[in-house]
Order: sequence, then C-alpha cells, then structure tokens
Amino acid sequence: MTSISLNLIIAFSLALAGVLIYRSHLISTLLCLEGMILSLFILIALLISHFHILSVSIAPLILLVFSACEAGVGLALLVKISSDYGNDYVQNLNLLQC
Amino acid sequence: MNFMLNSMILLSIVILTLPLMINLAFPHKTNHFPAYCKNAVKLAFLTSLPPLILFVYADTSHHTTWSHHTSINTLNLSMSFKLDHFSIIFIPIAFYVTWSILEFSLWYMHTDPKIHQFFKYLITFLLTMIILVSANNLFQLFIGWEGVGIMSFMLIGWWYGRSDANTAALQAVLYNRIGDIGFMLTMAWLMINNNSWDLQHIFMTNMNTLALLGLIIAATGKSAQFGLHPWLPSAMEGPTPVSALLHSSTMVVAGIFLLIRFHPMMENNNTALTTALCLGATTTLFTAMCAITQNDIKKIVAFSTSSQLGLMMVTIGLNQPHLAFLHICTHAFFKAMLFLCSGSIIHSLNNEQDIRKMGGLLHILPITSSALMTGSLALMGTPFLAGFYSKDSIIEAMNTSYINSWAMVMTLIATSLTAIYSLRIIYFALLNQPRFPPMSPINENNPNLTNPITRLALGSIFAAFILTMNIPPTSMVPMTMPPALKLTALIVTIIGLIIPMELNLLINKLPTTPMIHTDNFSNMLGYFTHLFHRMYPLANLQMGQHIATMLIDLNWYEKTGPKGQANLHNTTSSYITSTQKGLIKTYFLSFIITIPAIFAMIT
Repeated sequence: MTSISLNLIIAFSLALAGVLIYRSHLISTLLCLEGMILSLFILIALLISHFHILSVSIAPLILLVFSACEAGVGLALLVKISSDYGNDYVQNLNLLQC
Repeated sequence: MNFMLNSMILLSIVILTLPLMINLAFPHKTNHFPAYCKNAVKLAFLTSLPPLILFVYADTSHHTTWSHHTSINTLNLSMSFKLDHFSIIFIPIAFYVTWSILEFSLWYMHTDPKIHQFFKYLITFLLTMIILVSANNLFQLFIGWEGVGIMSFMLIGWWYGRSDANTAALQAVLYNRIGDIGFMLTMAWLMINNNSWDLQHIFMTNMNTLALLGLIIAATGKSAQFGLHPWLPSAMEGPTPVSALLHSSTMVVAGIFLLIRFHPMMENNNTALTTALCLGATTTLFTAMCAITQNDIKKIVAFSTSSQLGLMMVTIGLNQPHLAFLHICTHAFFKAMLFLCSGSIIHSLNNEQDIRKMGGLLHILPITSSALMTGSLALMGTPFLAGFYSKDSIIEAMNTSYINSWAMVMTLIATSLTAIYSLRIIYFALLNQPRFPPMSPINENNPNLTNPITRLALGSIFAAFILTMNIPPTSMVPMTMPPALKLTALIVTIIGLIIPMELNLLINKLPTTPMIHTDNFSNMLGYFTHLFHRMYPLANLQMGQHIATMLIDLNWYEKTGPKGQANLHNTTSSYITSTQKGLIKTYFLSFIITIPAIFAMIT
C-alpha cells in the first residue's frame, strides 16, 4: 500500500472518529462528515489515476454531488434545531426519552 | 349318587329363591320374613356342603346344561351351570358369609321400617351372584354380572333421602358400566370369531389380546382397579351389611372371578398377564396409600378391600389363578368380619363413623374388639391365620418369579401399608381413652350380633387351613426359596408395624401440626376424584359456556379482530418506544467499538 493511500485512510478514520465521538455540539458531527467525504474523494481520485482505471472516473463526481445534497440536508436540520433551541447542543434532543 | 352333586347345588339355589317366591305370592304376610330369609340361607348353606365334600374327596365336577336352547342364527344359548373347582368351593363360602350377614342385619336394621325389602334385595343379590359364579356361558354370566350391579345400585342408595348416597349409587353404576364395555367387547369378539359363548368351546380355541384386554377392562370396572376405582369408597354410603356383603366378599370379586375363569386363555398371552400385573400392583399401592390417612372407619376397610383386590389381580398376572381364588375365599371371611365389627362399633356409638371420635372400646365391647383384632391380624397375614395361607403364598410366588420388579416393590410396600392402616384402626377405635360422648348405647347383648361375628371369626381362623389341606392340588407354587425370600412378607409387615409406632412416639407431642404434602395427597385420594369428578367437568362446562356466550363477541370482535389489532399495536409500540432512550452519544460510541472489531476480524 502506498503511503499516500495510508495517509488518506488515516484521515478517513480520524474523521469517522470525529463523527462518532463528540461532546455537545451537533455541528462537529457535520464538519467531520465533510472531512470523511473529502478524504474519500481524494482517495478515489488518486486510486483512479494510480491504477489507470479511467472508466470509473465519474465516481468521484457522483460522490461530490451526493455529499453536497447531504450537507444541505444536514445544515437544514441544524438550522431548524438552532432556531428551536437557540443552540445546537445534543442533549436538547430528548423528546422521545421515557 | 351320581347326580347328588348337581342336584344338591341346584336344590340350594332353589331354596335361595323360596323367600323371593313367597314374597311374590304372599306380599302382605311379613311377620317373620327376615328370620325366614336367614333360615333359608342357612339351609342353602347346609345343602351346598355335601357337594363340597363330594368334590374334595371324590373329585366330581359337573357341567349341567338344559337342552332347551335359543339360537341367534348360528349362536346357541342355553342355560348351563358349570360346577367345577371354583364354583363348588365359592358357593358354600358365599352362603356362609351371607348367612352371618343376614343374621347381623336382623340386629343392625332392626328399626328400619323397610327391613323386609332390605332382606329381599340381599337375597336377590345373592341369587344373581350365584348365577354369576356358576355360569357356564358368557350370557348367563352377564345376567349375573348386571344383576349384581343393579342390586349394588339399589342397596348403596338404600337411604335415598341422602344426596351423598344417591351420588354414590350412581357413581357405582356408571363405573361398572364403563367396565361392561370391555365385557361386551369380549362377548362381541367371541361371537364373531368363536361363534359360541360357552366356556367349553372357548377353551378349545385361542383368544387374542384384544378380547383378553376386554376382560381385564371388565375386571377393572367391577373390581375397582386403578382408573375405575372411586366408586368403591363412595359405596360405603350404603348400610354396613351391604358393605360387608357386596363390597368386600362377593360382588367386587366378580371381576377377579371372571379372570380366574378365563385363566387357560390368559396363560399364554404375556401382554394380558403383564397388564394385569402392573394394574394390580398400581391399585394395591395406590389404595393402600389412600387408606392410611382416612378418618372414616368404613372407608379404611373399603380401601383395604380395594388393596386386596389389587393383590388378587397381581396374582392373576403372575399366572397363579388358584392362589387368587384361595385369596378370594379367605378374604371373604375376614373382610366381612371387619365390616360387621365396624357396624357393631358404629351402632354402639350412636352412628359415629369417625375414628377420631372413638376410643377405649377394648374392654367395653369385648367380642367386637377381639374379632376386630383377629380380623386385622388375618388381613396382615399373621402366620397360620386365614390371610397367611393365601397372602404369604402370593408374595412367595411373586418373589420367586421373573416378573416386573417395580410391580414387586409396589406390592411389598402395599403389604407394609396394610399393617399401618390396620394398626390405625385398632389404635384409634380400641385403645387409649374414650373420645365419644358418655351416653352412648354400647351393647353387645343381642345374639344376633355376637353369633355372626363369632362364626366369621372362627371362619377366619380355621377356614384357610381347612381349605388348603383339602382342596385338590392345582398349579404348582414354588416351594423352595432362600429363607430371606420366604420371610419377606412377615418382615415387611413387622416393619410396617414398628415404624409407625416409633414415629407416633416421636411426633405425638408436637403442639402444632405442620402441613405435609404427602398427607394431603393421601387424604384427597391422590387428587383422582378431585381432578376427574370436579375439575375436569368444571373445565368442560366453563369452556362450553365460554363458547356459547362469549366466543363471538369477546373473541372474534375484540381479541383477534379490530380491537385486538389496535391493542396489539398500542402495546407493542409503547414497549418499543420506552426501550429507546435517546442516548445518541452512547449509540455512536458503540459504532466506534464495533467497526474496528469487524475490521480486525476481516483482516
């Protein structure tokens, strides 16, 4: 495995850890989600050019499109939550708790 | 001289019918009718003795057949009497016991306004029993079989104003009827396959297992084996002479007698023998267990009868029908005597039947208490009294044969339990201080009471000895065995006497009685009557009521239909949402642990 791929895989894992481990702000999840998408994009583009598989070149573009959509949805949720509670603390999301 | 045997037995049967015919002809001449019945039975007994002596010393046995017969297509039925080993010995014994019981009834039922009807019923019963015992074909046997069943019904329900008595009589008839199904199964099988109901014809051919099982079912019903046994303790609702005659000596042995009659057929069929053995062993142990915690003196003796009947069935299962017959004969004496003694005690204590309210009768009723002790000792199989010759031989035969060892263990335990409940009767009724009210009409002065008891006591002491010394030799019983096996019955009985006495001394002085579950099991008759008479019909009726009234509305509309669905969804969703606690951070943390774990597993 080349060191660039290793580098990018470590970046992905760090961003994944950032998605799953956070204290109170919901926005850190969304930011780390963007980090995951970014590292994945660069990883796929590098792999395509390293192994010369030019027929799947469209894959990074599709990934980018879908990440934009999902970022939009995530931000809309964040805006709604912060307009209801005034902040984006996760402990506010407890309406279904018994 | 050639025809003396059958003519004298037929004469004794005719003498027996004389009271009935006189009652039919002169129904209003009732001055001395009970005494007349008793004298008729006494005369019939004396008339049936010469045939017994002829049989013993000259080995004559007859089959008497009326040549006039009816026929149903190819099946011929005629009236025929089989006077062989079994009938000739049983008939005098039945007459002797009935004579004593009729004399006792003169005292016991003295104040009953319908005493004449009582004697008529008893004579009719005896007549049908003799018909049963001396029948040579199954049709005549069935006439006797049904006759004793019906007379049992009428005599158990003698005091028909009492609802318990009516229930008991109905119970007796129903359980006997269930047994009759087996009898009719055998009769139908024989009609189809053997084309004859005569015992001589049947003994020349084979009978398959189904027909023999039918006979065993019939014996289960009539002789109160396990499964069809509850009617016998309930039959104690009848007067004591009825219990003494029907439910100890004569009627309940009819089932065993039927199996003894068919013993050439059962010899070769191991299934039937094993069934009889296990059924008998279960019966004897179960009823002995129920007997040890009963509080009514007649019920204890009734369970004792049931236990001895189980023992007779075990003997048949051991392929020793002659030993079973010997036990029938000796059992008649001491069991009838035990019932007469309990009748004497009951009447003396002003109709008190609960042994917890008797006591100290040892010196007050000397003849009754000596007879009670003699009868109990004979029942336990004390050496050289009546029970010893038959019971000890049965246990020896059981110990030395290759049978089911579980059946053997059960029978031995039942033998020790016999000692326990006999000891219980003696202890509570005769010993210690009196527990009955002081103004009880305790009286033994009437010879109508003391003579029968004395006669039966003499019978229970000497009869077995005389019988075994004089009857012709029959099937071989094992004569040699190790001394431990020979003494098994005696050792088991002595253990059964010593252990309760010791336990009594240990526990007697406790202030409170703890609740013991085996005691409850035994007192409730093993919960058999509770389950089958109360719980099962209740469950059926409740299910019927539920189906009739509540099924459509409650079940189809509410429980499985629309309301049920809504309910189901409600409860399920509330359960699921209450488990979800919204711990987002914890859930994400669990992701971070499991994903590397999966990676580690893949690579």
